[in-house]
Amino acid sequence: MSIKLIDVKKSFGNPPTEVLKGISLEINDGDFVSIVGRSGSGKSTLLYIMSSLDNASSGKIFYNQIDLVQMNQKEIHELRNTKIGFVFQFHYLLPELTVLENVLMPARKHNLQLTLKLRAMELIKEVDLEGKEHRMPSQLSGGEQQRVAIARALLMTPQYLFADEPTGNLDSHNGDRIMTLFQKINKEKKTTVIYVTHDKEFANRALKKIELADGALKNA
Amino acid sequence: MIFLSLKHLTARKKQTLLILLGIVLGTTAYVAISGMMLGFQDYIIDRLINNEAHVRISAREEIITRKDIEELFYKKNIHSFWKVPPSGRRDSLSIENPKLWFDKFDKSNDIYAYSPQLTAQVIFKRGDTEITGKVIGSKPSQEIRVSNISNYMEPGQKFSDLGDTGNRIILGAGLLGRLGARVSESVIVSTGAGRSSPFKIIGSFNLGIAAIDNTQAFASLIDIQKLQGVANRISGIGVKLIDVNKAQGLSEFWREFSRDKVESWEEANSATLSVFTIQNITRNFMTISIVVVAAFGIYNILSILVTQKKKEIAILRALGFESFQILEIFLYQGLILGIIGGIIGVCLGYGVCLFMSTLSVGSGRMMGSTGKMLVSFETPIYLKAFSIAFISALVSSIIPAYGASKLTPIGIIRSEAD
Repeated sequence: MSIKLIDVKKSFGNPPTEVLKGISLEINDGDFVSIVGRSGSGKSTLLYIMSSLDNASSGKIFYNQIDLVQMNQKEIHELRNTKIGFVFQFHYLLPELTVLENVLMPARKHNLQLTLKLRAMELIKEVDLEGKEHRMPSQLSGGEQQRVAIARALLMTPQYLFADEPTGNLDSHNGDRIMTLFQKINKEKKTTVIYVTHDKEFANRALKKIELADGALKNA
Repeated sequence: MIFLSLKHLTARKKQTLLILLGIVLGTTAYVAISGMMLGFQDYIIDRLINNEAHVRISAREEIITRKDIEELFYKKNIHSFWKVPPSGRRDSLSIENPKLWFDKFDKSNDIYAYSPQLTAQVIFKRGDTEITGKVIGSKPSQEIRVSNISNYMEPGQKFSDLGDTGNRIILGAGLLGRLGARVSESVIVSTGAGRSSPFKIIGSFNLGIAAIDNTQAFASLIDIQKLQGVANRISGIGVKLIDVNKAQGLSEFWREFSRDKVESWEEANSATLSVFTIQNITRNFMTISIVVVAAFGIYNILSILVTQKKKEIAILRALGFESFQILEIFLYQGLILGIIGGIIGVCLGYGVCLFMSTLSVGSGRMMGSTGKMLVSFETPIYLKAFSIAFISALVSSIIPAYGASKLTPIGIIRSEAD
């Protein structure tokens, strides 16, 4: 499976402002990719379009040679649920649920929460939160909350993990832990990791770097 | 998604309890007010249907109007102007052709029983006491099939003891008391025309309606005809139908071919039934007002919740949850509140009704034989109360739930970033 973008453009507003100006690129299975660029260069927009959360104004996006535009809503939801994991800058945990319940949330779409409970416990252990399964998000630090969000993103064993500035809200120590975790996931599970970051050091950890400037690829 | 709905509700206990309280109060109020009002209404309607004739045929009462005169004397295209518009009455003291009615009733399959009557305005005299009142002459064997008067006889007495003749009389309990008389004593009954006759009191009845109990009496039809000197005359016929629901239709049908006054029990008691209608409107209006306030509470809280939960909605959509599943989260919250509030409200309403039914509100048969408040426990009241709670919760949660389902993850993420 690979992700292929062909001449992807995105415009906002009226009169339209072109945020992405014909992006073409390919990401292969198992890649560890960072997307970098200045503020307003279109990094997050590219990530969201690539991850099916946003629509391109024009161009084509292929998931393993299947055009994303041709997929119906049900197929896109299924893709998001089973093939894609998301991690946002703000972890977006559900405050009413415990750590374990948050991690199990993707499984609830198909009532698999009991089946995947052991896997959720393993993931919680992997992200160093063992013993905190029944804590509420408000009882965790920012770094711990982000690790819960990563465990949640990995529950359905996704092929792709998308992260939008996952360390943006963390101190350097916690940021480092998250990046190390991403590297481990990529190496051990062969999950394709694509993340947006402002941090040069974290960006340089990627095996492949996509640099954007004013909505266009600077180099790839 | 009911899991998340319950989590949302339990995470905001105060809000949830407050809304629940609104629904519970609305439902309880509906059950209690309905039980009280319908209990009384059912009792009165039951009395109107079962105690009296379903259809009453009485001597003609005709009001003469200007239109009647104009139609009689002038052609249609002539406009007349009156210095003093004509007015008057053209009444009859008796049914014009009773036999025609009797034949009709005997042949009809809709009639359970009928009873010819002659009513006379009289003065009851005993010693120096004189009381104006009304005596109804009827054939006891027929009258007891048309009205439930025999059920209201004082213990040990029978209405049928009046017999077909013999100057026997049954007085209202109030009238008996006012005359200072006792059963087996005599009372003089005088008509306005100066005719009078002694009647032997063989019993008394107690309907619980002072206006009747204090002034009315029953005697045999023949005795009243003799008293008035009008053999074979009757002033009314009470008709009991097999199916009470046909009363209105049959009355309208019979009016077509007779000049006598034909009135169904609904028409005769239209004022009472109008009061019931107004009561019902007031009851429904009050209850709906309470429920609307609770429904607005649900709407407001869910709308605020949807705004507060945008980030969570975004992540759920990003996790692959579909829009209908997001709708479910918020819709279920409204429905859970509606169902739980409805059930508690109905149970509480039942308890309030049980309590009300033990309250003493007066004596006499108007409040039932026990003198306790009459409360209806009919199932439709409870079903309707629950339906009101459920439907109002459903309707009030649909709009915010639908709004939440229409949010897109990227729309929320962008608005959060702004």
